[in-house]
Amino acid sequence: MRLPKYRLEAEGSLLVFGFISQGPKGRIAKKIKFAETRIKGVYNLSFGDLDPETREIDDRVVSNNGDSEMVLTTVIAAVYAFADRYPEAAVFAKGSTNARTRLYRMGITKYMTEIKKDFFVFGGRNEKWGAFEEGIEYDAFLVKRKKLNLEI
Amino acid sequence: MKTKESEWKKKVPKVRIVKGLDKFKDPPHFQEKLDKANEFLRRAGVPKIPDES
Repeated sequence: MRLPKYRLEAEGSLLVFGFISQGPKGRIAKKIKFAETRIKGVYNLSFGDLDPETREIDDRVVSNNGDSEMVLTTVIAAVYAFADRYPEAAVFAKGSTNARTRLYRMGITKYMTEIKKDFFVFGGRNEKWGAFEEGIEYDAFLVKRKKLNLEI
Repeated sequence: MKTKESEWKKKVPKVRIVKGLDKFKDPPHFQEKLDKANEFLRRAGVPKIPDES
C-alpha cells in the first residue's frame, strides 16, 4: 500500500522487524515478530514497544505518540514483506488486550479493499473461523496471501 | 482475480537488513502471545483456504 509508513528494518530471515515511531513523546522503538505456531506454516504476529531500560518488548503499552495510523500501515507493510518471503505462510494475529484486538479489526476494516486483493482474510470468533466481515467483534484474525498472476 | 506479480512487488516495502534484530528471534520475546495463539488455534483450528487452482 502506498501510504505513509515508517522505514522498516529486519533481521535476515524477515521474522523480526523494527522501526522507530516518531511523535510528541519522542522516538519509540517498535518491534514486530512472526513466530511459527505449533501448526506448520501458521505464524503468530506480535507487536510491541522496546523498553529502553529493560530491553524487553512490551506488547501492552499504549504509547500515544500521535502516529497510530502510520504505525498501523507500517505493521501492514511488514506483513507484505513477510508474505513476499514466505508466500505459503498464514499470519495469525490476536491483540494482547481486547482494546488492541479491536484496533486490529479497525485497521483491517479500514484497508480491507486493498488487503483483500492480495490476501484471504478470516476472523475468528467463539472458536470458529469465517470470512472477515466488517462490524463483527472478532477474537483473532488470520490472513493468507493469495497466489499471484505470474507474468511471463 | 489474482494480483499481477508486478503489482504485488510494488506493494512490498524495501526493508533494510540489520544484525541487531537477531536477538529477538528466539523466546522469550512474545512467548506469552505465541502460547495464546497456539491455544486459540488448538481450539478453533485453521480456516479453510479457498482452492486457487
